[in-house]
Amino acid sequence: MTERRFTQDHEWVELSGDTATVGISNFAQDQLGDIVSIEFPEISSKFKQKEAMAIVDSVKASSDIYCPMDGTIIEINKNLQDHPELINKSPYDEGWMLKLKVSNISQFENLMTQQQYEKFVGEEKG
Amino acid sequence: MNYIPHTKEDVTLMLNEIGASSIDELIENFKPCLTSPLKLPEPMNEMQLVSYFSELAGKNKIFKYFVGAGAYDHYSPAVVDHLIKRGEFMTAYTPYQPEASQGMLQAMYEFQSFICLLTGMDVSNASLYDGASALAEAVLLSSSYTKKRHVFVDNGLNPSYYEVLKTYCNGSDLEFTNTIDENTCCVISQNPDFYGNIKDQRPLVEKAHHNKALFITCINEPTSLALLKPPGEYGSDIVVGEGQSFGIPLSFGGPYLGFLAVKNFLLKKIPGRIVGMTEDKNGKKGFVLTLQAREQFIRRERATSNITTNQALLALAATIYLATVGRKGLVDVAKNSYYKAHLLYEKLGKIGFKGLNEKYFYNEFCVKTPKAASKIFSQLLEQKIVGGLVVDDDKIIVCCTEKNSTADINAYLEALK
Amino acid sequence: MKLIFEYEQQPTEHVEQIQTQLDLPSELIRDSLPLPNVNEIDIVRHYTNLSKKNFGIDNNLYPLGSCTMKYNPKVSEELARLKGFASIHPRSPVEYSQGSLEVIWELQEALKEITGMDDVSIQPAAGSQCELLGIMIAKRHFENKNEKRTKVIIPDSSHGTNPASVAMCKLETITVCSDSRGNMDFNEVKKKISPDVALVMVTNPNTLGLYEENLLEIKDLAHQNGTLMYCDGANMNALLGISKPKEQGFDMMHLNLHKTFATPHGGGGPGAGALAVRAFLSDYLLVPRITKEDGKFQLDYKKEKSVGKVHSFYGNFGILVRALCYIRIWGNQIRHVSENAVLNANYLFAKIRDSYHVPYDRRCAHEFVVSAKNIPNGGTIDIAKRILDYGFHPPTVYFPLIVEEALMIEPTETESKETLDKYAQVLVNIAKELREKPEIVKDAPHTEPSRLDEVKAARQPNLRWSPQ
Repeated sequence: MTERRFTQDHEWVELSGDTATVGISNFAQDQLGDIVSIEFPEISSKFKQKEAMAIVDSVKASSDIYCPMDGTIIEINKNLQDHPELINKSPYDEGWMLKLKVSNISQFENLMTQQQYEKFVGEEKG
Repeated sequence: MNYIPHTKEDVTLMLNEIGASSIDELIENFKPCLTSPLKLPEPMNEMQLVSYFSELAGKNKIFKYFVGAGAYDHYSPAVVDHLIKRGEFMTAYTPYQPEASQGMLQAMYEFQSFICLLTGMDVSNASLYDGASALAEAVLLSSSYTKKRHVFVDNGLNPSYYEVLKTYCNGSDLEFTNTIDENTCCVISQNPDFYGNIKDQRPLVEKAHHNKALFITCINEPTSLALLKPPGEYGSDIVVGEGQSFGIPLSFGGPYLGFLAVKNFLLKKIPGRIVGMTEDKNGKKGFVLTLQAREQFIRRERATSNITTNQALLALAATIYLATVGRKGLVDVAKNSYYKAHLLYEKLGKIGFKGLNEKYFYNEFCVKTPKAASKIFSQLLEQKIVGGLVVDDDKIIVCCTEKNSTADINAYLEALK
Repeated sequence: MKLIFEYEQQPTEHVEQIQTQLDLPSELIRDSLPLPNVNEIDIVRHYTNLSKKNFGIDNNLYPLGSCTMKYNPKVSEELARLKGFASIHPRSPVEYSQGSLEVIWELQEALKEITGMDDVSIQPAAGSQCELLGIMIAKRHFENKNEKRTKVIIPDSSHGTNPASVAMCKLETITVCSDSRGNMDFNEVKKKISPDVALVMVTNPNTLGLYEENLLEIKDLAHQNGTLMYCDGANMNALLGISKPKEQGFDMMHLNLHKTFATPHGGGGPGAGALAVRAFLSDYLLVPRITKEDGKFQLDYKKEKSVGKVHSFYGNFGILVRALCYIRIWGNQIRHVSENAVLNANYLFAKIRDSYHVPYDRRCAHEFVVSAKNIPNGGTIDIAKRILDYGFHPPTVYFPLIVEEALMIEPTETESKETLDKYAQVLVNIAKELREKPEIVKDAPHTEPSRLDEVKAARQPNLRWSPQ
């Protein structure tokens, strides 16, 4: 498993071979508030980087989850369907959302490192 | 001035506070500005208004109705209108602040429960505009869920509903087809159908499900549900319909009450408001609008429906109606309607009318008339009877409810002599 | 309070009892009907007590922005219940429903005069259905001209229904930002307009309560591009007798009759919508059309270009009666409605503006938006709940989405200066409380029930009663 990288839309990615595990950052779950449901894409659907692939709903908001790297959905975290609160409680571990088989590994290099992301979030907070 | 409480002094004080010299100054940038008053009649005081509208209402003639076709002349107990007129209900809006809206919210929870109990479905929303648009919403839901675009409509759907459905489907690029196959997103069947037929839906349900299409049962006359097998029990995935029969006045076609209920797997796709039970900070039971992230004001272009306002006050009326007539009264209403229709049917058979229904019908039936249907219709009108809906040169659909007494039925037959 | 399903009594009889055997096979009939039986006295008490747990305009000021919660005249309720209106079957022959048709006709004529438009349809059940229809008409119009236009420009301050309606018609929404004065940003419109834009949808005054200052320029730009202008008329309460949307350059617009013309909102409906259009779009309007010949009204279904029908019958007739009542009450003096709506909004704004952040510092129209973002220790939700403690209804909150911690306040013309003074005092007090003793605001409301758990409601949905 590689280090964790981040997108500007607050998704995180960990890469193992050509399998990427995706979730949303601690900052993102905090901004969204109590998450009440998640709408997953179908297994084996394909997405390009930055395409909307899932929707996360809190009580008062609905947010797209964007695809961090080109790829095909191979697994979703079914546990979240009954326990969406895991995204709030454990965004980097039990709250992972889905796995992609990525088609362009080099895209990983362009994502932000933990350090870069923290700086990015600091700036966004203003 | 009407309904504006300000005195001249108030207006002066208010303008001072704002820092404006006149009201005109406040609206000077609303361009282009009108320079003369609108060409509308002189204002009316309340007495003039009453006389104006009484005269208009008097131009309508209220006859004995033996017509249904999507609107039914049932009796509504006095308590229904008495209670919905309470200002706390009537002058509220969508319960965005649940702590100040527990009354309406609980009533909507009761409404949803009544609809589920009657239809045999798992979840209901808190109402849609009317039966026809509820059907259209159900079709959009089906397309969004199955990601397919072909719609199959079984014979016997109310033609007005079909027209509305066509409008929505054209707008959303959905197509009607004559066959059920793997491209079909939903199969729609009205029960009892437009001609009153009670249908055994099971073969059609099976065909729909075999092709991974959703089965939609559409209901025009919901009092039938007091007697008939709930659509949820014969495999419907969605049940939609018109709730006007439940205590809502005919009122020339509106406002009525659309309802939509689904099986659990479609919960997240339901359009419109849904009320849920929850707790307050102290653990006390209470109600809120819930699953709102489905709705347009949050999802905007990703929402499955654009519906906002629904028919809450009429859902309240239906709730109070169902509670008031209760289990026993609703069965009486349904049995009376059924019985009266069958009585008239039988007697018409003896004077040359030929029944065109399949095996079973509820409170509407279609007959072939012994002479031109329009003639029959005029003959009845002369006796202040609206005798049915003429659907062809020699076909008429006739309806009875508990309000059509035996004497009315005799008058109907007498008029045809 | 218990649920109605928890009663089991001897019911009150309302219709004839009947002993008849049904001639139906068992596979078509139900086994049991699990409804309650309740005697009338407990029906009346149950729903009377529920009503006491509900807040309406009849209780106190209810300044929900964008919803126009004005006083609903009681005479209109009586008149809509006249037997001639309430008891007429929609399938009655037209010669016996002339009174209903005249109501609709007169209402349409009045709406044409108010909007300046050439034709109108009152069939839609609400504003959102009008939007859908307006977009369908635009689609059909361009199809007939053999033009492929797939996009709709909408400002970021719009009602959520606008983009949702666009999506229902399978077109694409192009969002345009608001400028520093709260207007639709003209330069952005200029950048984003292209030959495939079918429609520009504008709410005027917009949801910030501000009159669109760039409207005429946007209109010129749109029309030069062959694009139609649609007005979301939810905020028409600011413009009656003051300015006509057709003269502002719109080709189509909708009115929410329940808002502008004071029909009761019923706890969330029924409402009614009207779609008004310029002459060149008239043929696309819904069927049946009402025609008048020699003083007799007829229903005309033969309109080949019509986009069809959106209602089971002719529209929400009972609401149309009430709307016409309001229009007749005011007649040619209807301008007073909007003048006083604007006066009341500006007055309340002036009284509270020092206590809240003002995102767009301009005179407002019939409503205004302030923000709670600079007030420490709490957010808009806390302020809203605390307002309930003072016996008033909160404004619309967290909308429009472009203003952080928004409070959108529309007092309407029917409120007295005294009521507005009291409401202003409450808003000022709460801002102060948040600075000095925030707990009292954060724990609000101190009513029964206390703050309700919406997260639990969404995560563990309990949406109905079931028999044991």
